[in-house]
Amino acid sequence: MIKVRSISKSFGNIEAVKNVSFTIEKGEIFGILGPNGAGKSTIVNILNTLVKPDKGDVIIDGVNINDNGDTIKLIMGVVPQEIALYEELTAYENLMFWGGLYDIPKQELKANVNNTLEIVDLVSRKDDRIKTFSGGMKRRINIACSLLHNPKILVLDEPTVGVDPQNRNHIFEVIERLNNEGMTIIYTTHYMEEAERFCNTIAIIDVGRIIAQGTLKELREISDVKDLLTIKLADINNETITRITSENPLFRFDSTSNILKVECGNIGNDIPIIINHIQNSGGVIERIYTQGTSLESIYLKLTGKELRD
Amino acid sequence: MFKLFKKDLILFFHDQRSVILTFLLPVILISLFAFAYGGIGVFDGRSEPVNLLVADLDQTRSSKEIVYKIDSLEDMRIIFSDAIKSKELVIKGEYACALIIYKGFQDSLEVGNATLIELVYDRSREMEIGILQQNLISTLMSSTGEIIVKKSIEKYLQDQFPAIDKSTSDNILKTVIKKDNNKLAIKWTSIVGMKNDTKLGLIQAVAGTAILMLLFSVAGVGTSILEEKENGTINRLLYSPLKGSTILYGKMLFAFFISILQLTAMFLFAWLMFNMDLSVNIPALILMIIATAFAVSSLGIFLAAIAKTRQQAQNLSTIIILIMSAIGGSMIPLFIMPSILQKIALLSVNYWGIQGFYDVFWRTLPLESILPKILILMSIGIIMTLASIQLFKKRIIKFS
Repeated sequence: MIKVRSISKSFGNIEAVKNVSFTIEKGEIFGILGPNGAGKSTIVNILNTLVKPDKGDVIIDGVNINDNGDTIKLIMGVVPQEIALYEELTAYENLMFWGGLYDIPKQELKANVNNTLEIVDLVSRKDDRIKTFSGGMKRRINIACSLLHNPKILVLDEPTVGVDPQNRNHIFEVIERLNNEGMTIIYTTHYMEEAERFCNTIAIIDVGRIIAQGTLKELREISDVKDLLTIKLADINNETITRITSENPLFRFDSTSNILKVECGNIGNDIPIIINHIQNSGGVIERIYTQGTSLESIYLKLTGKELRD
Repeated sequence: MFKLFKKDLILFFHDQRSVILTFLLPVILISLFAFAYGGIGVFDGRSEPVNLLVADLDQTRSSKEIVYKIDSLEDMRIIFSDAIKSKELVIKGEYACALIIYKGFQDSLEVGNATLIELVYDRSREMEIGILQQNLISTLMSSTGEIIVKKSIEKYLQDQFPAIDKSTSDNILKTVIKKDNNKLAIKWTSIVGMKNDTKLGLIQAVAGTAILMLLFSVAGVGTSILEEKENGTINRLLYSPLKGSTILYGKMLFAFFISILQLTAMFLFAWLMFNMDLSVNIPALILMIIATAFAVSSLGIFLAAIAKTRQQAQNLSTIIILIMSAIGGSMIPLFIMPSILQKIALLSVNYWGIQGFYDVFWRTLPLESILPKILILMSIGIIMTLASIQLFKKRIIKFS
């Protein structure tokens, strides 16, 4: 569906995107994960033809964006990071305006508007002005405005920034519904849990460069990040600790909190063995926590920094 | 309390707009008004000389003597012309008044009849006429009065005392002739604004205020482009099949439409409330409204295009609009300004708009005489539009 080949883009002396390549299959949810300023929005603007890359090619649905940008705009819907709506207009008026830019026949547009309002579950508020909406509801209308021309591809640029959990779930449901109906989705975010929840494929981007991409499983393998087992031990003496940790370099003990952390290759198999080992060494377990390999830990491993830095 | 005071002080000085409106703008306007009223600069408190058209049809010693005396006055500048052209120039507003000395002027003086001298003038230019009253009248009275009295006494002495010698005759004349005894009958004729019942002040109020307020409202429309840039709707428009230039043209069309609507509403209000006669020259009025709306709306978009942020655009608009309105005739009558400011006024939309509406309502000029001002307004609009398109592409849509 989308083939991006070695694109680069600079603004003055700043290299916003450096030699980026990826492929997105039809019906896929493709996540672009990276901190603010990593180059996510520049990639989005290249995809929707607003920014011309200095180098490289982008083929969308068989069309080179440099040859026929107008066609790309018709098959792609973009949900901007900002709530780009007219606050003084009602939800319905906003939708009619934004949809009207695509020269959709009026009756068809009205049907699309009503259908979209139903998708984002705001039919009852359609005649209210946007300024009376909560932040989450505005975000939902922001998404709805990009669906009116029935795009094949939907690009969502950080669509949940500043949204409360309830509305966030609502947005997630909308995205999953659209994807289930066959829409290809590109999702940029700096929230790990969102990328983990939806994305079939994730590209991790940092300072304009994709540092890893693949499914979560593939990323786990690339980064060689293990699951983490955290065990809180009852009062314990040095002799017992030495017995537990000796000859086990993956065991890390924090004596101030009495917490033992163990990196596991296969946490399901490893837990009984580790528990037996502790008990046989004279240790008493108070609590056990498990943490699977997270995108956050992968990102940390790959970039050496926290995503929210 | 002091902490609150300190916080507000910091906020105030961080707010560029507040600082500009509080300090910079008043300073600029005070300087401008002081300059205009002759309070500062190299004018020594004097007004610019008043241009006086003179048509001397008599071409006699007496008429030339009068013209010479007028020309020697510091506050007057003589421009010679013929009677018909002089009247035309006054009617077109290029000069405030013209002095016409008709043929037979000297003969009339010598026989003591009413003098054949007429001052045709434009009532709208009271300040210049006031200066005329101070200087021209006293000069004319002394000159013509002397001639009349002298000729009358000389004739009497020759008739009654044919043998009188010249020195005695001169002494008698010197004793008898006193300036305050003189009486001169100049015919004052207002030749502008006579065909229309609309009062001059109403035209100034409507035209001057309409253009001033129009500038502010259109600047607001221009600023909305930057607002749309800041809230992301411009980008969203660009995600659609719309071209960047289409977005700009759409904004310009809206600004143009609002300008026409506002100007029309103001003139209709003046008609309904103050009986302003709009029917005096409807084609010219329509064209003037269109041309003024185009020039003003283009200027509003241009102001937005040269600013980087909405805040900057608001500050810039306030300063430029107030200064332009001050020098363009919306606040201060143009003719009292120093000539340099009068020349600068030609760069303002206000000047051409106000003068154009004066031509329509006050001077009641035919359309062909108003066309040059209409064309100038249209030219201002075209230049501003072209500049805005370039700036808009460069500064507002920074893609590719």
